Amino acid sequence: MADFFSTYGFLLVSMLLGAMLGLSLYLPLMAGQLSLASPGFYALGGYTAAILSTKVFQMSGSLFPLPLLVVEMLVAGVVCGILGLMVGIPALRLRGIYLAIATIAFVEVLRVLSLNLEITGGAVGIFGIPQPFQTPIEYLWIVLPLLLLSAWFVYRLERIRVGRAFTAIREDELAADAMGINPTYHKVLAFTLGAILAGVVGAVSAHFLNTWNARQGTFDASIIYLTFVLIGGSRTWAGPVLGGVAFTALPEVLRAIADTSGLPLWLGQFLRDGRLIIFGLLIVAGTIFFPQGLVTPALLRRKRQPFSK
Amino acid sequence: MNLTLFFQQFLNGLSIGSVYAIFALGYTLVFSILGIINFAHGAIFTLGAYFTYALMGGAFGLNGLLANASLPVQLPFALALILGSTLAGLIGVVIERIAFRPLRRRGADPLLTVVSSLGVAVVIVNLIQYLVGAEIYTFPASTYGNLPAAINFGTAAQPIPVRSVQVVIFGVSVVILTLLTYGINATKYGKAMRAVAEDATTASLLGINVDRFIVLTFFVSSFLGGLAGTLVGSSVSIAGPYFGIVFGLKGLAVIVLGGLGSIPGAVLGGLVIGLVEAFVPSDYSAYKDAVAFGLLFIMLLVRPQGLLGRSALQKV
Repeated sequence: MADFFSTYGFLLVSMLLGAMLGLSLYLPLMAGQLSLASPGFYALGGYTAAILSTKVFQMSGSLFPLPLLVVEMLVAGVVCGILGLMVGIPALRLRGIYLAIATIAFVEVLRVLSLNLEITGGAVGIFGIPQPFQTPIEYLWIVLPLLLLSAWFVYRLERIRVGRAFTAIREDELAADAMGINPTYHKVLAFTLGAILAGVVGAVSAHFLNTWNARQGTFDASIIYLTFVLIGGSRTWAGPVLGGVAFTALPEVLRAIADTSGLPLWLGQFLRDGRLIIFGLLIVAGTIFFPQGLVTPALLRRKRQPFSK
Repeated sequence: MNLTLFFQQFLNGLSIGSVYAIFALGYTLVFSILGIINFAHGAIFTLGAYFTYALMGGAFGLNGLLANASLPVQLPFALALILGSTLAGLIGVVIERIAFRPLRRRGADPLLTVVSSLGVAVVIVNLIQYLVGAEIYTFPASTYGNLPAAINFGTAAQPIPVRSVQVVIFGVSVVILTLLTYGINATKYGKAMRAVAEDATTASLLGINVDRFIVLTFFVSSFLGGLAGTLVGSSVSIAGPYFGIVFGLKGLAVIVLGGLGSIPGAVLGGLVIGLVEAFVPSDYSAYKDAVAFGLLFIMLLVRPQGLLGRSALQKV
């Protein structure tokens, strides 16, 4: 078991981080807003933590103190929340594809800025970010509670007034408006919540990955997170969590399949080097055959029926 | 900035702007008919450049599956350009069949179609990488025949040299734009295409085969994308499989700036962004890529329907 954890520790933590990034994209989607801004806030949160830990909190010990990590997560959340508000209030007047394009532009502007500013380390980025733990697997102490907390938060959100308002806006914004729901307020709220979550995850990831550079917040990353949500399921909190976990693990699974003996040489090579091709094919097939994603609300409901009698 | 530099930058801006225009027209054509943005367009752009490179007899590098392979033919640039773009157009038709039509048949949410086109883009980009590696490919120096490296637009005393590649690009773009404008406005096919864009159901009642025109639109759109890819690739180089993605995002800035679904808007938006980028001071050239997106962001906030777009009526 210890062997398993030391081999797959990095992957396990990455899977949970992926699940939270899925949730951060799912939050605006709850209110029907396709926003691809998560990688931008993720990158910003990471830079916040990286700059704080390498420049502000000069420390002498070998391990980075945990309370400071929590402080960084809070700061990253606040910074991303404020920026989310500033971007969200004007951008959320836009609908559908316009909002998606605006958020793509936002991510690109942030990326170019981080490539050129001195404080973010330019193209090289920031490296040597101090580690709070000895081994990657110990990051579970931070990541697992964070995931449980955010999943529980979204689960509860789906069942209270605000969450129902999100759903109403997703189904029909005009009708929701007529019912007395303030669409702008709720859309900005959903967007900002997603931004905060992405920022906090970024802060943890910066420590976890040890280096942070402009490649963290790219258009490619947006597509990958979107895949988590849409293939996992975009109608319930479990979808993005499952999608994030499964799709982060997919490259490793494909590599494992490629290593099984008895496979033709070309197939093994394809599974190893062409895994992003498979990724893309899964996106296309998923949207065509599972338009609601793999985890649908109906699926979750059916499981609960015996208890409701 | 002196006058010489001004003219030079102006002509450079026009040249790159005209490529933006034909590339963005590809987005616009599909958007005006289906109301969705084909995110695979940037990948088609890359594909077109690689097709033309291969048709000109260019060899591929060491890292892909097709290491050191090259086609037995060595077509002249003009022919390779047309053939390569046609191949890109045919790929566009295949994409429509696989990733767009099944969703359209079911009347799926437009956002799902966006995602499936993103999936296609991921497949194409990585397939290119798998097959020919991630190296930078440069078109042979003799691509443009015996043209001099630069053409002087000023007088002998006060030269205003502009790279002839830029002039060729501008020329090709103008020809294509003229042909396309004529085709859409003055031919029966163009008329039918516009009818489908206006209202697909009514068009089909009037005896227009809607599916066939959607296929035609995808062909023309991808042809333009491939053509733009080749032009940019031949003027600089093909910077690996991802080179179309950034260009594809910039194309989005162009169409939103001009107005989604507006053909003159796409041309205007392309020229505006090309010119603005050309006049970014050289000290800030690292921020050049952010200019288009900054412009896009501001435009979305000030006038979301774009320069020449119609603001959509909200239907209840």
